[in-house]
Amino acid sequence: MKMKKFKFTYNTALFLLWIVIFAFIGIKAPGFLKSKYLINVMLKNIVEKGMVALPMTLIIITAGIDLSVGNIMVLSCMLGAMAAGSMGGAVGVVVTLVVGVVCGVLNGLVISRVKITPMVTTLATMYLYLGLARGISEGNSLYSYPASGFMGTQNILGIPLQIYLLIILAVIFIYLLHSTAWGRKIYAMGLNPNAAEYAGIDTNKLTMQIYILAGLVCAVAGLIFLGRFTSVKYDAGTNFNLNVITIVVLGGTSINGGIGDMRGTVLATLIIATLNSGLTVLNIPIDVQTIVQGVVLMLALIAYAVVNKKNRQKRILKVEDPADGAKASV
Amino acid sequence: MKKKNLSTEFYLFLFLLVVSVFLAVFAKGFYTVNNLMSILNSFSYILISAIGMNLIMLTGNIDVSTGALISVVALALAAIGKLGVPFAGLILAGMLMGAVLSTLNGLFITGMRIPAIVATLATTQIFQGILPLTCEGSIYDLPASFTWLSFEAKLFGFIPGSLIICVIVTAFFLVFARYSRFVKKLYAIGNNREGARLCGIQVDKTVVICYAIAGLLFGITAVIVATASQRCTTTMGSGMEMTFIAAVVLGGTSPAGGSGNLSGTIIGALILAMVAPAITYLGISSNWSDAVKGAIILISVVVSGARYLKRKRVIAGAAGGEA
Repeated sequence: MKMKKFKFTYNTALFLLWIVIFAFIGIKAPGFLKSKYLINVMLKNIVEKGMVALPMTLIIITAGIDLSVGNIMVLSCMLGAMAAGSMGGAVGVVVTLVVGVVCGVLNGLVISRVKITPMVTTLATMYLYLGLARGISEGNSLYSYPASGFMGTQNILGIPLQIYLLIILAVIFIYLLHSTAWGRKIYAMGLNPNAAEYAGIDTNKLTMQIYILAGLVCAVAGLIFLGRFTSVKYDAGTNFNLNVITIVVLGGTSINGGIGDMRGTVLATLIIATLNSGLTVLNIPIDVQTIVQGVVLMLALIAYAVVNKKNRQKRILKVEDPADGAKASV
Repeated sequence: MKKKNLSTEFYLFLFLLVVSVFLAVFAKGFYTVNNLMSILNSFSYILISAIGMNLIMLTGNIDVSTGALISVVALALAAIGKLGVPFAGLILAGMLMGAVLSTLNGLFITGMRIPAIVATLATTQIFQGILPLTCEGSIYDLPASFTWLSFEAKLFGFIPGSLIICVIVTAFFLVFARYSRFVKKLYAIGNNREGARLCGIQVDKTVVICYAIAGLLFGITAVIVATASQRCTTTMGSGMEMTFIAAVVLGGTSPAGGSGNLSGTIIGALILAMVAPAITYLGISSNWSDAVKGAIILISVVVSGARYLKRKRVIAGAAGGEA
């Protein structure tokens, strides 16, 4: 009950923060509030990150992390573009999705079967996927093809296709995490994997599922990414990984696992989107924007730590379980 | 536990030997003085920071802001170096700045009880953002006193100065890790933070000092990287943190903390420094070097993980609170 109350307040705080930022920028620069700008710049620029943040939330709730998402995205859309060049757009899309899934399977296999820490695994695969993308493309850029261009530039009723996709995915993920037994299992696994295992949850299978899901969503994001920028280079995903983790953490998901909220992630996506495009409208240089993003993340972390402190103390007093010890040592 | 660590390094060492022999046979010109010295130069700056990263990772923490930190220090050094400050002044300034910035990280982590990866993620963005505000892209036309380390400081005319610094630092830390109580405390904190606290270790203070020491080492790396040319850009260090973490992980240190040691890190750093030139000399496009690095790290952690699995089948929670 306590947790529920707290989560509610954190989400509310996020929502208020978003409104404040939005209003502030809107008053300072009225041009920002035009629907055309909001949709075509603010939302369109964040779609890929927002999409990948959804499965990333699941991963972080299970106390895992995936540092390779940006590189999966680039690798999958590159291989897709190469396949499309020789065999047509449909094959390209299929190849993109298959590569995303295969990358996810590799991550999941190493993490769940060999029991390597997610961070080490995805650090290694990050290098691997980055290197494969660089080696296969020989360092050159690859260009968009009609099918991915469709994903990246098509408008339906004046709103870009990818925004519909993001909304649909967000609804699906919110439903999955908060309204299904599968979602409960993810929380259970994050709080205490051993207990979850003994309670009859197949944690290996669960791990595989979420990393494959992440791979698949990365591939979809890759299609959009390629379509939007019309060309992609092997290092395009470098900052992507940490940006996505920033969004998830800002959304109130604990990096120690077991605590998190998909709606928080969606709100955090909106906050980052507003900040990024809003500061551009205010003519603030991109470097200051990075600082602002860092400061917002820091404030969120401090707020989270302060609000959570009482809660945590109570929990530690109640159950001196090894999971808490393990968490404290992180 | 100890046995397993020993064998990880042993296998790594074997791997290194096999690769060296392989290169001697197939890569013509790999073993020339020039090439070896350039490998050793990059080896030295990777290793110096990897030692710092190793100390941090022993406590179960991590630092992903190192690359940005090195950029900040390198740029500040260039600004100082432009005034003609000699090398001794540069390295002192570099170490001091590295230590101060890294201590901030440590204070942020311990004071607010924020997981290290997230806290340093936030400081990364702040470091990165501050940089371009201070100068327009790069500082150039640096005087000869600035690049003294990489161009003139050569022992017997061919051993780079950076290697000498690296040997001194490594030797010091090998002794330090073996005999000091401080490093024992780091292991204790990494293994069981609460247990360490109950044993009378001041956990927060120790972690902050650990970050400060690591910061000193990051500062030295920044000096080596910055003085490599007459131009200092704002992105000199970006992405380096992953190389350091990779060297540490390859050396068998677990990011969960409490296990691993320096000799593994040394071999790990050497392997990573060798990959790119080895590939070029084997006649393969240098574009493949990242893929090879990734494959080596992945295979090495999988192999050592598989051996570990055989011994301890029951504990499925290895992936537990380790992120």
